[in-house]
Amino acid sequence: MKISNVLHLPAILAAALLALATLVEAEHTSNWAVLVCTSRFWFNYRHLANVLSIYRTVKRLGIPDSQIILMLPDDMACNPRNAFPGTVYSNADRAVDLYGDNIEVDYRGYEVTVENFIRLLTDRVGEEMPRSKRLLTDDRSNILVYMTGHGGNEFLKFQDAEEIGAFDLADAFEQMWEKKRYHEILFMIDTCQANTMYSKLYSPNIIATGSSELDQSSYSHHADNDIGVAVIDRYTYYNLEFLESEVRDTSSKKTVGDLFDSYTYEKIHSNAGVRYDLFRGGEEAARSRLLTDFFGNVQNVEVDGAKNSTIEEDLISLSKTIAALHKKYEEEEAALIKNSTAAARKKTTSQRKIQLAKPLTDDNWWTKKIAGATAIAGCALLWGVGSFFEGR
Amino acid sequence: MSAQPPSSLSTDDAPPVAVTNATSELKQPPAEKPSDIRRRGYVILSFWLIVLLLGLPIWWKTTTIYRADLPLQEMLDWSDGKACRPVFPLRISIQANSLQDQEAQNLLRLTQHALDDLNDFAGHHLRLQLSPPLGDEATSATNNGSALTIRLSPGEATTATLDPYEPTLDITYPPNNIPSPTASSSALATYVASQLRSTFGEEQATISYLLSTNSMPSEHRPLGLSPETVESLAKRTTRSLKYSPTYHLTFSLFTSGALPSSWDIETAIEEYMKPVLDVLSPIHNFTIDTQVQLYAAPGVQNDVLQKQDLSSFINAAEWPLSPSIGGAPTINFIVFVGNQTIVTSPESESSQSWLIPQWGTVYLLSQPWDTTHVSTETLKQPLLTFTSHLFSLLGTPQSGSLPLRLSTLTRIRSADLLLRASSTLGSLARLALALPSISIPSSVADGVSKTMTHLRLACDNLGGLDGLEHARIAEAEAERAFFEKSMVGQLFFPDEHKIAVYLPLLGPVAVPLIMGAINEFKAWRKRRREKAEKGAEKKKE
Amino acid sequence: MDGKVTIGRTAGLYIGAAVLRLAIFTLLPGIPDLLTGRVEISTPVTSFKRLQEGLFLYNHNVSPYDGGVYHQAPLFLPLFSLLPNASSYPIFTYLLYIAVDLLSAGALWKIADSGETVASALFTSPRKEKRWNGFIIAAVFLFNPFTVATCIGRSTSVFTTCAILHAIAKAVSGAPFSAMVAITFAGYLSLYPLLLLPPLVLLCYDRQRIERGIKSVIPFVATNIAVVAGIMGLLFGMSYLITGSWEFLTSTYGVQLTLSDLTPNVGLWWYFFIEMFDSFRSFFLGVFWLHLSCYVGGLTVRIRQQPLVVLTLLLGIFGIFKPYPSISDTSLFLALVPLYRHVFPLMRYTFVIAAVIMYATFLGPAFYYLWIYAGSGNANFFYAITLVWNLGQSLLVCDLMFAVLRDEWEVERPEMAGKEIRQI
Repeated sequence: MKISNVLHLPAILAAALLALATLVEAEHTSNWAVLVCTSRFWFNYRHLANVLSIYRTVKRLGIPDSQIILMLPDDMACNPRNAFPGTVYSNADRAVDLYGDNIEVDYRGYEVTVENFIRLLTDRVGEEMPRSKRLLTDDRSNILVYMTGHGGNEFLKFQDAEEIGAFDLADAFEQMWEKKRYHEILFMIDTCQANTMYSKLYSPNIIATGSSELDQSSYSHHADNDIGVAVIDRYTYYNLEFLESEVRDTSSKKTVGDLFDSYTYEKIHSNAGVRYDLFRGGEEAARSRLLTDFFGNVQNVEVDGAKNSTIEEDLISLSKTIAALHKKYEEEEAALIKNSTAAARKKTTSQRKIQLAKPLTDDNWWTKKIAGATAIAGCALLWGVGSFFEGR
Repeated sequence: MSAQPPSSLSTDDAPPVAVTNATSELKQPPAEKPSDIRRRGYVILSFWLIVLLLGLPIWWKTTTIYRADLPLQEMLDWSDGKACRPVFPLRISIQANSLQDQEAQNLLRLTQHALDDLNDFAGHHLRLQLSPPLGDEATSATNNGSALTIRLSPGEATTATLDPYEPTLDITYPPNNIPSPTASSSALATYVASQLRSTFGEEQATISYLLSTNSMPSEHRPLGLSPETVESLAKRTTRSLKYSPTYHLTFSLFTSGALPSSWDIETAIEEYMKPVLDVLSPIHNFTIDTQVQLYAAPGVQNDVLQKQDLSSFINAAEWPLSPSIGGAPTINFIVFVGNQTIVTSPESESSQSWLIPQWGTVYLLSQPWDTTHVSTETLKQPLLTFTSHLFSLLGTPQSGSLPLRLSTLTRIRSADLLLRASSTLGSLARLALALPSISIPSSVADGVSKTMTHLRLACDNLGGLDGLEHARIAEAEAERAFFEKSMVGQLFFPDEHKIAVYLPLLGPVAVPLIMGAINEFKAWRKRRREKAEKGAEKKKE
Repeated sequence: MDGKVTIGRTAGLYIGAAVLRLAIFTLLPGIPDLLTGRVEISTPVTSFKRLQEGLFLYNHNVSPYDGGVYHQAPLFLPLFSLLPNASSYPIFTYLLYIAVDLLSAGALWKIADSGETVASALFTSPRKEKRWNGFIIAAVFLFNPFTVATCIGRSTSVFTTCAILHAIAKAVSGAPFSAMVAITFAGYLSLYPLLLLPPLVLLCYDRQRIERGIKSVIPFVATNIAVVAGIMGLLFGMSYLITGSWEFLTSTYGVQLTLSDLTPNVGLWWYFFIEMFDSFRSFFLGVFWLHLSCYVGGLTVRIRQQPLVVLTLLLGIFGIFKPYPSISDTSLFLALVPLYRHVFPLMRYTFVIAAVIMYATFLGPAFYYLWIYAGSGNANFFYAITLVWNLGQSLLVCDLMFAVLRDEWEVERPEMAGKEIRQI
């Protein structure tokens, strides 16, 4: 027993050498955010503003655009009714332009569909889908899923045309869990009867919260009279207020529980709900998760110690030698093979044909016309013969 | 819905018409002619025939969900580790040119004994063999499948050194240490065994950690990993990227001002990184691109960077570090020219670089403010750092000589891929069981059977590049099967929804059809009864 | 009425129709291209624009079906490639289309003159004196705005129309072989006319000349079906030789059967399949096609005495329910309706029908504009108006059917003529 411990020592040492100062538990290695708005049209301005506010927050806390999937069905900034073209505001003071000049919408317009959303979560996408539109998470990824739009009992409407049911959502999360596509999920939804949407979830490690109970509406916070419509919903507004004032940067120690405790009926005008039971460790563990675990991008960086460059130089020279040896060996092999298969190879190369785009030519158009004319004449003849014999 | 057939009028109700006379009360229409009745029967029959002969098969064919047969039990066996016991039988050849054959045999036996005594993990065991006693056959020895060659040669003291170029362990021994043919133990044998153990210690620990984190049954699960070991291994697996046959390396030069604006990255890569990439080429391919960005503001403005600043140093919002180049995962290597320094703790020296797990490396390069060009020489240190970080990002073990580390990497990756493919199979099987309404196209079944073939091959050839290749194919096929594009859609489609789809469309069609049939049937029964009555009356008469 | 006047009137009618069309073609050069782009006239399977695309590819040795734009029968290609280029010498194309329209009118004239509508082999209407002659019928067809618009829009459906009318004309004049040839041409061009076979074969059977007829029904039907199959095989073979592959089958008939092109049109299918859940798509394709074809059997049995009525009603139904209908299908139906002038007094909703059709005709383009160009409406606007349009047509179909059945019934019960009736 003792000797085996001693023998493990080099491994421990070596690993510890690189990982000098990190004491934080390596829980997750990447943060992703899926931010979905499901409504179109000008009078739903506030839903797009909701999503863009959350987008701005997670970006502020360091999640890169490549790890944010933003679904926006409409473009409020360029709406002809927008009195402030090119901008979207979530507050009547219009202090922060949410649109800014650096916003990456991954799914827009009619791409925001239930099918695409489920495909995104389960990653069942075609070859043609660029990496920026995929949720490339693994079992070490924390995901923030934020949805807003018009909903009802156990459904959320997508673009007036279709709806996602609570069962669909639960099954999608289950498929993600089954394929180890997340570590923990914070699911937030701001819609009418929002809490019904997460009631069917059954996969582990999900904290869920919603803006209102069954048979309760979610309300907008305030309207901007110059824009002419409500600019943000209450639930999202108070979430943002908390995040802006309490989570100023990634070093914040505020927990999920702190955020949830800040919800009151007086502020939101509906009973915001929270679901902890799916989380490993239950309520206590869920509440103690840092907000930056979901809204921020916490990277456990590993700082190098003082440099000892000789080791690495050795590595390079070593590699060179080994590569040279390999090459020599391969050349010998190749020389052997070459002699025996030169003839065969020639054959295969000549057979390989590259499929090119078909060129537009009008060669042999005469023969074509004649063949065509013959065919037409044949049809006419058929008709003529029929008419002739039967016409008498 | 307009599926209402306008001609349904004609099916059963057009011909019999009754007169509404304004003055007199309702007159009974005259009895229908038998030919009319027969004709109406034919009309109704023609509609029903189409519905029954064409409509029903179409309905059956187009609305049943196609579910290809999957070997569910086998798939679950794979994911539970019942189908394959990942065993890495590493062959170690011993070259002992100076020893007599029998002496060598004896030493071999004793060493094997000592090894077996030490070993506590069945999945990973070393088997010794004697290689032909010809010194210059070393290359062929490495090629015949042995993981390590031990070269025994007489010397003054017992020493062991790893050959830096080949997977070879040189051991010298004082001549008097050769065990006598009758001895049951030998100091040399124990020494060799312990040397071997320490050489493969890390690999063994890594593989047993991998197995333990996956859902392997407990009897395969190694015991005795100390918590510290587990933690460091966890850290290392966290750091390394998922296996991919190709990685994309992006080298970026970010400068805080206008200068420097160019760098000799090509020659620097050629000089300091290419050899390592060549060595890694049997396991991974690499593609490379580079970029220069001026006036790049980091996410943290302080000049002195604390540890917690480093994680937000990357300005993800503005730096163009897009991952969407090709299909391969990107590893980022960033050289940032600025005047920031890192101070992690008061006593330690300031360092220049840090590694971001699964992402890449940032190197802070301080240059005089008027440098316009970064030379190859200046890039040497950054690139050497990148190189060593590349190894850890790829999950290469830390100890041992380079050839040994690479062959260990091959085995670790094979095991990793094998386990991942197996667990994907299990996920797919559980999914198929859990979601009865999901369609399973035949391509998924194909993928599954391919996966299992290659898993079997990989399982049988664990340890070599062949095994890695099969494991890689198996993993790719399993992923493709699991992520089959058509296996999506409305998963949850309750029966109420089906009624909602069918009723408004088919209701208007079905009502006249069914009513027509019922009316016809009633009329037919009535006629029969009348006939029977008439017949009875006739008989009476 | 002496022959000279008749000839003069005929020539006048044809020349008048030709001059009208030619005048629109030449004096208003923007109109043809405008109409060619209208969804009411050009469907994916009849569009002249798409034909030109296919023609270009064909002339340059590329399969015309590459690119997924052209969905029409291959034999159009050699026909149009024999004409000079339509963009530089459009006059030849114009003349061809005008000629086809006149040929259709000629066939219609023959049908009218045969008197089949008032006195078929098995049935003679008591109102047979009231019918219109061929001149009026042809004139109604030639000067129908829908016919003119179709001709100006150069939709290839005019060829199908012409073939169907000739098939009927040949059938009533006792030439079953020619009728089968013509209907096969129509089926080859547009597929759906094959559904007209049962009543058409019956019509041929009723009108075949006694001296060389086949007496019993079954051999007659079998012979005719064999003729159709044989000619169809011949046409497919020629198409194969022309395009060099069997690809045309999926690209022409496949598109009609699976509705893979969801360009809006005046029909009922496109909107439905845009909104349909994907998993039910194939099922409802089956339902819609069955719906289209289920009338054939019932109507043929019910109105066995007057097969031409069945043909007319079916053409009306197809104009409503086929996958890619256009106003050209309506114009064909409206061309046959005046043959039933004698039952017009029995129709009950003529005013409503006329109002609804006019209403839809004028509002349709407006709603389409609101949806596609102005962006102030959505697809529901246009679909609503196509519903109204089809409602008008189905009213006409029903009313015509009612009138014909009433006409038949009055023969059976003469004492009821002119009395009000109630359906039970």
